[in-house]
Amino acid sequence: MEPVIRFTNATLGYGHTPILRDLSFDVHEGEYFGLVGPNGAGKTTMVRAILGTLKPLAGTVRVAMPSGATVRFGYVPQRDTVDYVLPYTVGEIVMMGRYRQMGIFHRPGEADRTAVQKSLDHVDIRDLGGMSFRDLSGGQKQRALIARALASEPDVLVLDEPTNGMDLSSRLSILDLIKHLHGNDRLTVIMVSHLLDDVANHVERLAIVEREFFQVGTVAEVLTGANLTTLYGMHVDVRRVDGRMVILAGGDDERR
Amino acid sequence: MSGAEIVRTIFEEFPYALYGSILVGMICAFLGVYIVAKRVVFLGAVMTQVSVMGLALTFLPLFAVPHTLGSLVITLGTVVVISRMLTGKKVPKDAVLGIVFVTSIAARILVLQKAAKVEVAEIENLLRGDILFVTPALFYLMAGAFVAASAAHLLFFKEFTYISFDAETARTQGFNAAGWEIAFYLIAGVVISFATHMVGDIYVFGFLVIPPVAAMLLARRVTRIFVVAVLIGLLAPPVGLFCAFLFDLPSSPAIVGVAAVVLAAAWIVSLVRKR
Repeated sequence: MEPVIRFTNATLGYGHTPILRDLSFDVHEGEYFGLVGPNGAGKTTMVRAILGTLKPLAGTVRVAMPSGATVRFGYVPQRDTVDYVLPYTVGEIVMMGRYRQMGIFHRPGEADRTAVQKSLDHVDIRDLGGMSFRDLSGGQKQRALIARALASEPDVLVLDEPTNGMDLSSRLSILDLIKHLHGNDRLTVIMVSHLLDDVANHVERLAIVEREFFQVGTVAEVLTGANLTTLYGMHVDVRRVDGRMVILAGGDDERR
Repeated sequence: MSGAEIVRTIFEEFPYALYGSILVGMICAFLGVYIVAKRVVFLGAVMTQVSVMGLALTFLPLFAVPHTLGSLVITLGTVVVISRMLTGKKVPKDAVLGIVFVTSIAARILVLQKAAKVEVAEIENLLRGDILFVTPALFYLMAGAFVAASAAHLLFFKEFTYISFDAETARTQGFNAAGWEIAFYLIAGVVISFATHMVGDIYVFGFLVIPPVAAMLLARRVTRIFVVAVLIGLLAPPVGLFCAFLFDLPSSPAIVGVAAVVLAAAWIVSLVRKR
Protein backbone atom coordinates (compact mmCIF):
# COMPACT_ATOMS: atom_id res chain seq x y z
CA MET A 1 0.00 0.00 0.00
CA GLU A 2 1.39 3.41 -1.01
CA PRO A 3 1.72 5.88 1.86
CA VAL A 4 0.41 9.45 1.84
CA ILE A 5 3.47 10.63 3.80
CA ARG A 6 6.87 8.92 3.66
CA PHE A 7 9.89 10.02 5.69
CA THR A 8 13.09 8.42 4.38
CA ASN A 9 16.19 8.99 6.52
CA ALA A 10 14.98 12.54 7.06
CA THR A 11 16.91 14.90 9.30
CA LEU A 12 14.91 17.93 10.43
CA GLY A 13 16.10 21.17 11.95
CA TYR A 14 16.53 24.90 11.52
CA GLY A 15 19.48 26.57 9.83
CA HIS A 16 22.30 24.08 10.17
CA THR A 17 21.13 22.70 13.51
CA PRO A 18 19.47 19.28 13.31
CA ILE A 19 16.73 18.57 15.86
CA LEU A 20 15.49 15.14 14.74
CA ARG A 21 17.81 12.79 12.86
CA ASP A 22 17.36 9.94 10.44
CA LEU A 23 13.58 9.54 10.60
CA SER A 24 11.98 6.82 8.49
CA PHE A 25 8.29 6.02 8.68
CA ASP A 26 5.05 6.11 6.65
CA VAL A 27 1.53 7.41 7.22
CA HIS A 28 -1.12 5.70 5.10
CA GLU A 29 -4.34 6.96 3.60
CA GLY A 30 -7.29 6.69 6.03
CA GLU A 31 -5.06 6.22 9.05
CA TYR A 32 -5.43 7.90 12.47
CA PHE A 33 -1.83 8.65 13.40
CA GLY A 34 -0.49 10.21 16.59
CA LEU A 35 2.68 12.19 17.29
CA VAL A 36 3.51 12.25 20.99
CA GLY A 37 6.41 13.46 23.05
CA PRO A 38 7.36 15.92 25.75
CA ASN A 39 7.20 19.69 25.17
CA GLY A 40 10.12 20.87 23.05
CA ALA A 41 10.83 17.40 21.69
CA GLY A 42 10.38 18.38 18.04
CA LYS A 43 6.73 17.52 17.35
CA THR A 44 6.00 20.89 15.78
CA THR A 45 9.16 20.59 13.68
CA MET A 46 7.90 17.27 12.39
CA VAL A 47 4.46 18.74 11.64
CA ARG A 48 6.09 21.53 9.64
CA ALA A 49 7.98 18.95 7.61
CA ILE A 50 4.74 17.05 6.95
CA LEU A 51 2.94 20.25 5.93
CA GLY A 52 5.81 21.20 3.63
CA THR A 53 6.70 24.45 5.41
CA LEU A 54 10.06 23.02 6.54
CA LYS A 55 12.45 21.30 4.15
CA PRO A 56 14.51 18.41 5.59
CA LEU A 57 18.23 19.07 6.12
CA ALA A 58 18.92 15.57 4.80
CA GLY A 59 16.88 12.67 3.45
CA THR A 60 13.40 13.11 1.99
CA VAL A 61 9.84 13.74 3.08
CA ARG A 62 7.50 12.63 0.30
CA VAL A 63 3.90 13.82 0.51
CA ALA A 64 1.50 12.65 -2.22
CA MET A 65 -1.80 10.83 -2.54
CA PRO A 66 -1.53 7.21 -3.75
CA SER A 67 -2.99 8.45 -7.04
CA GLY A 68 -0.07 10.87 -7.32
CA ALA A 69 -2.26 13.91 -6.68
CA THR A 70 -1.09 16.68 -4.35
CA VAL A 71 -2.19 16.23 -0.75
CA ARG A 72 -4.54 18.92 0.57
CA PHE A 73 -3.89 19.49 4.25
CA GLY A 74 -6.43 20.83 6.69
CA TYR A 75 -4.32 22.27 9.48
CA VAL A 76 -5.70 23.00 12.95
CA PRO A 77 -3.13 25.07 14.85
CA GLN A 78 -2.94 25.47 18.60
CA ARG A 79 -5.79 27.86 19.28
CA ASP A 80 -3.63 30.31 21.22
CA THR A 81 -1.41 30.96 18.21
CA VAL A 82 -4.08 32.89 16.31
CA ASP A 83 -4.72 36.61 16.69
CA TYR A 84 -7.44 37.71 19.11
CA VAL A 85 -7.15 41.49 18.66
CA LEU A 86 -9.67 41.78 15.83
CA PRO A 87 -13.18 40.39 16.45
CA TYR A 88 -13.45 38.00 13.49
CA THR A 89 -16.70 36.05 13.43
CA VAL A 90 -16.62 32.27 13.38
CA GLY A 91 -18.06 32.41 9.85
CA GLU A 92 -15.24 34.70 8.67
CA ILE A 93 -12.63 32.41 10.15
CA VAL A 94 -14.12 29.29 8.60
CA MET A 95 -14.26 31.14 5.28
CA MET A 96 -10.46 31.54 5.49
CA GLY A 97 -10.31 27.79 4.89
CA ARG A 98 -11.75 28.47 1.42
CA TYR A 99 -9.18 31.09 0.39
CA ARG A 100 -6.90 28.56 -1.30
CA GLN A 101 -9.76 27.32 -3.52
CA MET A 102 -10.87 30.87 -4.32
CA GLY A 103 -7.50 31.98 -5.58
CA ILE A 104 -6.09 35.47 -5.72
CA PHE A 105 -8.37 38.46 -6.61
CA HIS A 106 -11.57 36.42 -6.02
CA ARG A 107 -14.23 37.09 -3.40
CA PRO A 108 -16.22 34.32 -1.68
CA GLY A 109 -19.00 32.93 -3.87
CA GLU A 110 -22.11 30.86 -3.25
CA ALA A 111 -20.15 27.59 -3.30
CA ASP A 112 -17.79 28.95 -0.63
CA ARG A 113 -20.65 30.08 1.59
CA THR A 114 -22.28 26.65 1.24
CA ALA A 115 -19.01 24.93 2.13
CA VAL A 116 -18.64 27.12 5.23
CA GLN A 117 -22.17 26.34 6.36
CA LYS A 118 -21.58 22.63 5.78
CA SER A 119 -18.39 22.72 7.83
CA LEU A 120 -20.12 24.54 10.70
CA ASP A 121 -22.87 21.89 10.63
CA HIS A 122 -20.30 19.13 10.55
CA VAL A 123 -18.69 20.19 13.82
CA ASP A 124 -22.04 21.10 15.37
CA ILE A 125 -21.60 24.87 15.70
CA ARG A 126 -24.05 26.08 13.05
CA ASP A 127 -25.51 28.64 15.48
CA LEU A 128 -22.13 30.20 16.24
CA GLY A 129 -21.37 31.41 12.69
CA GLY A 130 -22.16 35.04 13.52
CA MET A 131 -20.44 35.08 16.90
CA SER A 132 -17.07 36.63 17.58
CA PHE A 133 -14.36 33.93 17.68
CA ARG A 134 -12.59 35.51 20.63
CA ASP A 135 -15.75 35.29 22.77
CA LEU A 136 -16.04 31.49 22.41
CA SER A 137 -15.06 28.85 24.97
CA GLY A 138 -11.91 26.78 24.38
CA GLY A 139 -13.89 23.84 23.02
CA GLN A 140 -15.96 26.04 20.69
CA LYS A 141 -12.80 27.75 19.39
CA GLN A 142 -11.31 24.35 18.63
CA ARG A 143 -14.44 23.31 16.76
CA ALA A 144 -14.33 26.53 14.76
CA LEU A 145 -10.70 25.89 13.78
CA ILE A 146 -11.57 22.30 12.83
CA ALA A 147 -14.47 23.64 10.74
CA ARG A 148 -12.03 25.97 8.96
CA ALA A 149 -9.76 23.01 8.20
CA LEU A 150 -12.75 21.00 6.89
CA ALA A 151 -13.87 23.91 4.70
CA SER A 152 -10.64 23.50 2.75
CA GLU A 153 -11.82 19.97 1.76
CA PRO A 154 -8.68 18.29 3.04
CA ASP A 155 -7.26 14.86 2.32
CA VAL A 156 -5.32 14.90 5.58
CA LEU A 157 -6.35 16.63 8.80
CA VAL A 158 -3.43 17.70 11.00
CA LEU A 159 -4.25 18.82 14.54
CA ASP A 160 -1.64 20.42 16.79
CA GLU A 161 -2.43 19.86 20.49
CA PRO A 162 -6.20 20.06 19.92
CA THR A 163 -7.15 19.37 23.55
CA ASN A 164 -4.47 21.36 25.30
CA GLY A 165 -5.78 23.38 28.26
CA MET A 166 -9.36 22.11 28.00
CA ASP A 167 -11.62 20.83 30.76
CA LEU A 168 -12.51 17.13 30.78
CA SER A 169 -15.86 17.32 28.98
CA SER A 170 -14.59 19.67 26.22
CA ARG A 171 -11.57 17.43 25.78
CA LEU A 172 -13.62 14.27 25.35
CA SER A 173 -16.05 16.05 23.06
CA ILE A 174 -13.23 17.21 20.76
CA LEU A 175 -11.65 13.74 20.75
CA ASP A 176 -15.03 12.22 19.83
CA LEU A 177 -15.40 14.72 17.01
CA ILE A 178 -11.98 13.85 15.61
CA LYS A 179 -12.78 10.14 15.91
CA HIS A 180 -16.03 10.77 14.03
CA LEU A 181 -14.23 12.64 11.24
CA HIS A 182 -11.81 9.78 10.91
CA GLY A 183 -14.37 6.97 11.16
CA ASN A 184 -17.29 8.40 9.18
CA ASP A 185 -15.55 10.66 6.69
CA ARG A 186 -12.54 8.37 6.19
CA LEU A 187 -10.22 11.33 6.72
CA THR A 188 -6.56 10.65 7.30
CA VAL A 189 -5.86 12.26 10.69
CA ILE A 190 -2.56 13.21 12.27
CA MET A 191 -2.90 14.35 15.87
CA VAL A 192 -0.03 15.93 17.77
CA SER A 193 -0.28 15.86 21.53
CA HIS A 194 1.79 15.74 24.67
CA LEU A 195 -1.25 14.27 26.47
CA LEU A 196 -0.58 10.54 26.31
CA ASP A 197 -4.06 9.50 27.46
CA ASP A 198 -5.66 11.36 24.54
CA VAL A 199 -3.48 9.62 22.01
CA ALA A 200 -3.37 6.18 23.59
CA ASN A 201 -7.11 5.54 23.35
CA HIS A 202 -7.82 7.10 19.99
CA VAL A 203 -5.10 6.71 17.38
CA GLU A 204 -4.26 3.52 15.47
CA ARG A 205 -0.53 4.03 15.15
CA LEU A 206 1.80 6.61 16.60
CA ALA A 207 5.31 7.94 16.74
CA ILE A 208 7.11 8.85 19.93
CA VAL A 209 9.15 11.95 19.17
CA GLU A 210 12.23 12.94 21.13
CA ARG A 211 15.62 14.12 19.95
CA GLU A 212 17.47 10.92 20.77
CA PHE A 213 14.49 8.58 20.95
CA PHE A 214 12.17 7.96 18.03
CA GLN A 215 9.84 4.99 17.68
CA VAL A 216 6.91 4.22 15.39
CA GLY A 217 4.32 1.45 15.64
CA THR A 218 0.91 0.50 16.92
CA VAL A 219 -0.21 1.86 20.29
CA ALA A 220 0.46 -1.48 21.96
CA GLU A 221 3.95 -1.70 20.47
CA VAL A 222 5.08 1.82 21.26
CA LEU A 223 3.23 2.97 24.38
CA THR A 224 4.95 0.64 26.82
CA GLY A 225 6.07 1.43 30.33
CA ALA A 226 9.69 0.87 29.35
CA ASN A 227 9.53 3.28 26.39
CA LEU A 228 7.77 5.99 28.34
CA THR A 229 10.12 5.62 31.30
CA THR A 230 13.06 6.13 28.93
CA LEU A 231 11.31 9.04 27.20
CA TYR A 232 10.39 11.02 30.31
CA GLY A 233 13.26 9.97 32.57
CA MET A 234 10.86 8.91 35.33
CA HIS A 235 8.91 5.81 36.16
CA VAL A 236 5.83 5.40 33.92
CA ASP A 237 3.41 2.52 34.03
CA VAL A 238 0.86 1.59 31.33
CA ARG A 239 -2.23 -0.35 32.36
CA ARG A 240 -5.60 -1.35 30.93
CA VAL A 241 -8.75 -0.44 32.87
CA ASP A 242 -12.12 -1.45 31.37
CA GLY A 243 -10.51 -1.81 27.97
CA ARG A 244 -8.94 1.68 28.09
CA MET A 245 -5.27 2.41 28.37
CA VAL A 246 -4.25 4.36 31.45
CA ILE A 247 -0.83 5.95 31.89
CA LEU A 248 0.45 6.25 35.45
CA ALA A 249 3.49 8.42 35.96
CA GLY A 250 5.80 9.03 38.91
CA GLY A 251 4.84 5.92 40.96
CA ASP A 252 7.36 3.63 42.68
CA ASP A 253 7.80 -0.13 42.49
CA GLU A 254 5.56 -0.78 45.55
CA ARG A 255 2.64 0.98 43.95
CA ARG A 256 3.07 -1.16 40.88
CA MET B 1 -12.33 85.17 12.66
CA SER B 2 -15.82 83.74 12.52
CA GLY B 3 -16.47 80.10 11.80
CA ALA B 4 -17.54 80.85 8.23
CA GLU B 5 -14.39 82.89 7.63
CA ILE B 6 -12.21 80.08 8.92
CA VAL B 7 -13.89 77.58 6.61
CA ARG B 8 -13.51 79.94 3.66
CA THR B 9 -9.84 80.60 4.52
CA ILE B 10 -9.10 76.87 4.72
CA PHE B 11 -10.79 76.12 1.39
CA GLU B 12 -9.38 79.12 -0.44
CA GLU B 13 -5.91 79.52 1.05
CA PHE B 14 -4.99 76.03 2.21
CA PRO B 15 -6.90 73.51 0.09
CA TYR B 16 -3.94 71.11 -0.15
CA ALA B 17 -3.52 71.23 3.62
CA LEU B 18 -7.13 70.16 4.03
CA TYR B 19 -7.19 67.46 1.35
CA GLY B 20 -3.67 66.24 2.17
CA SER B 21 -4.38 65.88 5.88
CA ILE B 22 -7.59 63.97 5.07
CA LEU B 23 -5.76 61.61 2.69
CA VAL B 24 -3.07 60.92 5.28
CA GLY B 25 -5.64 60.54 8.04
CA MET B 26 -7.67 57.97 6.10
CA ILE B 27 -4.84 55.81 4.80
CA CYS B 28 -2.87 55.85 8.07
CA ALA B 29 -6.03 54.92 9.99
CA PHE B 30 -6.65 52.01 7.59
CA LEU B 31 -3.07 50.66 7.75
CA GLY B 32 -3.06 51.29 11.49
CA VAL B 33 -5.77 48.66 12.02
CA TYR B 34 -3.31 46.00 10.81
CA ILE B 35 -0.43 47.56 12.73
CA VAL B 36 -2.40 47.50 15.99
CA ALA B 37 -3.73 43.97 15.26
CA LYS B 38 -0.22 42.68 14.54
CA ARG B 39 0.95 44.23 17.83
CA VAL B 40 3.69 46.19 16.07
CA VAL B 41 2.53 49.68 17.04
CA PHE B 42 6.10 50.62 17.84
CA LEU B 43 6.93 49.83 14.21
CA GLY B 44 4.76 52.81 13.20
CA ALA B 45 6.80 55.10 15.45
CA VAL B 46 10.04 53.59 14.13
CA MET B 47 9.07 54.03 10.49
CA THR B 48 8.12 57.67 10.99
CA GLN B 49 11.49 58.33 12.64
CA VAL B 50 13.35 56.46 9.88
CA SER B 51 11.47 58.52 7.33
CA VAL B 52 12.44 61.74 9.12
CA MET B 53 16.06 60.57 9.22
CA GLY B 54 15.87 59.90 5.46
CA LEU B 55 14.67 63.46 4.95
CA ALA B 56 17.46 64.83 7.12
CA LEU B 57 20.10 62.84 5.24
CA THR B 58 19.17 64.57 1.98
CA PHE B 59 20.65 67.77 3.43
CA LEU B 60 24.11 66.20 3.46
CA PRO B 61 26.24 66.80 0.35
CA LEU B 62 26.92 63.04 0.10
CA PHE B 63 23.20 62.21 -0.15
CA ALA B 64 21.94 65.23 -2.04
CA VAL B 65 18.81 63.77 -3.68
CA PRO B 66 15.23 65.14 -3.61
CA HIS B 67 13.87 65.03 -0.05
CA THR B 68 10.96 62.72 -0.87
CA LEU B 69 13.19 60.30 -2.72
CA GLY B 70 15.74 60.21 0.10
CA SER B 71 13.06 59.57 2.67
CA LEU B 72 11.46 56.85 0.52
CA VAL B 73 14.72 55.00 -0.19
CA ILE B 74 15.82 54.99 3.45
CA THR B 75 12.36 53.96 4.71
CA LEU B 76 11.93 51.11 2.21
CA GLY B 77 15.49 49.87 2.78
CA THR B 78 14.88 49.82 6.51
CA VAL B 79 11.53 48.06 6.05
CA VAL B 80 13.19 45.23 4.12
CA VAL B 81 15.90 44.80 6.76
CA ILE B 82 13.49 45.12 9.71
CA SER B 83 10.91 42.70 8.26
CA ARG B 84 13.62 40.04 8.02
CA MET B 85 14.90 40.74 11.51
CA LEU B 86 11.38 40.71 12.98
CA THR B 87 10.90 37.10 11.91
CA GLY B 88 14.23 36.00 13.42
CA LYS B 89 14.44 34.48 16.85
CA LYS B 90 17.85 35.67 18.05
CA VAL B 91 16.96 39.29 18.80
CA PRO B 92 13.55 40.14 20.33
CA LYS B 93 11.18 42.16 18.10
CA ASP B 94 10.97 45.17 20.38
CA ALA B 95 14.75 45.26 20.75
CA VAL B 96 15.14 45.41 16.94
CA LEU B 97 12.61 48.23 16.73
CA GLY B 98 14.18 50.06 19.69
CA ILE B 99 17.62 49.95 18.07
CA VAL B 100 16.33 51.33 14.77
CA PHE B 101 14.26 53.98 16.58
CA VAL B 102 17.10 55.37 18.67
CA THR B 103 19.63 55.13 15.83
CA SER B 104 17.32 57.12 13.54
CA ILE B 105 16.91 59.89 16.08
CA ALA B 106 20.65 59.98 16.80
CA ALA B 107 21.45 60.13 13.07
CA ARG B 108 18.97 62.97 12.61
CA ILE B 109 20.57 65.00 15.41
CA LEU B 110 24.03 64.41 13.93
CA VAL B 111 22.87 65.53 10.49
CA LEU B 112 21.34 68.68 11.96
CA GLN B 113 24.64 69.45 13.67
CA LYS B 114 26.53 69.14 10.41
CA ALA B 115 24.05 71.02 8.23
CA ALA B 116 24.86 74.59 7.26
CA LYS B 117 23.41 77.04 9.80
CA VAL B 118 21.24 78.74 7.20
CA GLU B 119 19.53 75.46 6.48
CA VAL B 120 18.73 74.44 10.03
CA ALA B 121 15.43 76.31 10.17
CA GLU B 122 14.39 74.82 6.82
CA ILE B 123 15.39 71.35 7.94
CA GLU B 124 13.48 71.63 11.19
CA ASN B 125 10.43 72.90 9.36
CA LEU B 126 10.62 70.02 6.93
CA LEU B 127 11.21 67.42 9.63
CA ARG B 128 8.29 68.70 11.68
CA GLY B 129 6.05 68.59 8.62
CA ASP B 130 3.96 71.69 8.13
CA ILE B 131 0.44 70.87 7.02
CA LEU B 132 -0.37 74.43 6.00
CA PHE B 133 2.40 74.50 3.45
CA VAL B 134 1.73 71.24 1.65
CA THR B 135 2.75 71.76 -1.97
CA PRO B 136 0.57 70.56 -4.87
CA ALA B 137 3.41 68.24 -5.98
CA LEU B 138 3.63 66.58 -2.57
CA PHE B 139 -0.15 66.35 -2.39
CA TYR B 140 -0.39 64.55 -5.76
CA LEU B 141 2.43 62.21 -4.75
CA MET B 142 0.51 61.38 -1.58
CA ALA B 143 -2.71 60.96 -3.58
CA GLY B 144 -0.90 58.47 -5.85
CA ALA B 145 0.36 56.53 -2.82
CA PHE B 146 -3.16 56.64 -1.33
CA VAL B 147 -4.74 55.21 -4.50
CA ALA B 148 -2.06 52.52 -4.90
CA ALA B 149 -2.18 51.45 -1.24
CA SER B 150 -6.00 51.42 -1.17
CA ALA B 151 -6.18 49.41 -4.41
CA ALA B 152 -3.64 46.86 -3.13
CA HIS B 153 -5.54 46.45 0.12
CA LEU B 154 -8.93 46.16 -1.54
CA LEU B 155 -7.65 43.61 -4.05
CA PHE B 156 -5.77 41.55 -1.49
CA PHE B 157 -7.95 42.13 1.57
CA LYS B 158 -8.41 38.41 2.21
CA GLU B 159 -4.69 37.67 1.92
CA PHE B 160 -3.66 40.50 4.25
CA THR B 161 -6.32 39.64 6.85
CA TYR B 162 -5.53 35.90 6.72
CA ILE B 163 -1.79 36.45 7.21
CA SER B 164 -2.52 38.89 10.02
CA PHE B 165 -4.91 36.46 11.76
CA ASP B 166 -3.03 33.17 11.35
CA ALA B 167 0.12 33.24 9.23
CA GLU B 168 1.08 29.68 10.13
CA THR B 169 -2.08 28.08 8.74
CA ALA B 170 -2.03 30.38 5.71
CA ARG B 171 1.48 29.07 4.98
CA THR B 172 0.22 25.47 5.07
CA GLN B 173 -2.35 26.43 2.43
CA GLY B 174 0.36 27.60 0.06
CA PHE B 175 0.27 31.33 0.87
CA ASN B 176 3.67 32.99 0.85
CA ALA B 177 3.20 34.50 4.31
CA ALA B 178 6.65 36.14 4.41
CA GLY B 179 6.04 37.68 0.97
CA TRP B 180 2.68 39.12 2.00
CA GLU B 181 4.20 40.45 5.23
CA ILE B 182 6.95 42.25 3.33
CA ALA B 183 4.39 43.56 0.80
CA PHE B 184 2.36 44.98 3.69
CA TYR B 185 5.36 46.68 5.28
CA LEU B 186 6.56 48.06 1.93
CA ILE B 187 3.15 49.61 1.25
CA ALA B 188 3.13 51.02 4.78
CA GLY B 189 6.70 52.26 4.24
CA VAL B 190 5.77 54.19 1.07
CA VAL B 191 2.71 55.74 2.72
CA ILE B 192 4.52 56.65 5.93
CA SER B 193 7.46 58.09 4.02
CA PHE B 194 5.33 60.45 1.90
CA ALA B 195 2.95 61.23 4.76
CA THR B 196 5.74 62.09 7.21
CA HIS B 197 7.28 64.43 4.66
CA MET B 198 3.90 66.07 4.21
CA VAL B 199 2.43 66.34 7.71
CA GLY B 200 5.16 65.31 10.15
CA ASP B 201 5.88 62.37 12.41
CA ILE B 202 3.45 63.19 15.25
CA TYR B 203 0.51 63.35 12.86
CA VAL B 204 1.41 60.11 11.06
CA PHE B 205 2.10 58.08 14.17
CA GLY B 206 -1.00 59.51 15.84
CA PHE B 207 -3.23 58.39 12.98
CA LEU B 208 -1.60 54.96 12.78
CA VAL B 209 -2.69 54.29 16.35
CA ILE B 210 -5.53 56.51 17.60
CA PRO B 211 -8.31 55.94 14.98
CA PRO B 212 -7.76 52.14 14.86
CA VAL B 213 -7.96 51.83 18.64
CA ALA B 214 -11.04 54.08 18.78
CA ALA B 215 -12.64 51.96 16.04
CA MET B 216 -11.85 48.75 17.92
CA LEU B 217 -13.65 50.17 20.94
CA LEU B 218 -16.70 51.19 18.90
CA ALA B 219 -17.17 48.45 16.28
CA ARG B 220 -17.76 44.74 16.82
CA ARG B 221 -16.99 43.45 13.34
CA VAL B 222 -13.67 43.52 11.51
CA THR B 223 -14.91 45.27 8.36
CA ARG B 224 -16.69 47.88 10.49
CA ILE B 225 -13.48 48.53 12.41
CA PHE B 226 -11.77 49.42 9.13
CA VAL B 227 -14.71 51.63 8.11
CA VAL B 228 -14.93 53.46 11.47
CA ALA B 229 -11.14 54.00 11.59
CA VAL B 230 -11.18 55.48 8.07
CA LEU B 231 -14.16 57.68 8.99
CA ILE B 232 -12.25 59.07 11.97
CA GLY B 233 -9.28 59.62 9.63
CA LEU B 234 -11.64 61.48 7.28
CA LEU B 235 -13.39 63.69 9.86
CA ALA B 236 -10.74 64.49 12.49
CA PRO B 237 -8.41 66.48 10.15
CA PRO B 238 -10.97 69.13 9.01
CA VAL B 239 -12.26 69.51 12.57
CA GLY B 240 -8.68 69.73 13.87
CA LEU B 241 -7.72 72.30 11.23
CA PHE B 242 -10.78 74.37 12.11
CA CYS B 243 -9.82 74.24 15.80
CA ALA B 244 -6.23 75.19 14.94
CA PHE B 245 -7.46 78.35 13.18
CA LEU B 246 -10.08 79.11 15.81
CA PHE B 247 -7.75 78.85 18.82
CA ASP B 248 -4.53 79.78 17.01
CA LEU B 249 -2.92 76.38 17.57
CA PRO B 250 -0.32 74.44 15.57
CA SER B 251 -2.27 72.34 13.05
CA SER B 252 -0.75 68.81 13.47
CA PRO B 253 -1.10 68.64 17.26
CA ALA B 254 -4.59 70.13 17.00
CA ILE B 255 -5.69 67.42 14.56
CA VAL B 256 -4.12 64.65 16.65
CA GLY B 257 -5.82 66.21 19.67
CA VAL B 258 -9.23 65.95 17.99
CA ALA B 259 -8.54 62.28 17.20
CA ALA B 260 -7.58 61.76 20.86
CA VAL B 261 -10.88 63.31 21.96
CA VAL B 262 -12.71 60.87 19.66
CA LEU B 263 -10.72 58.03 21.26
CA ALA B 264 -11.69 59.21 24.75
CA ALA B 265 -15.34 59.35 23.67
CA ALA B 266 -15.06 55.84 22.18
CA TRP B 267 -13.61 54.57 25.42
CA ILE B 268 -16.51 56.05 27.41
CA VAL B 269 -19.01 54.52 24.97
CA SER B 270 -17.36 51.11 25.36
CA LEU B 271 -17.50 51.43 29.16
CA VAL B 272 -21.19 52.37 29.07
CA ARG B 273 -21.92 49.43 26.74
CA LYS B 274 -20.30 46.98 29.14
CA ARG B 275 -22.71 47.96 31.94
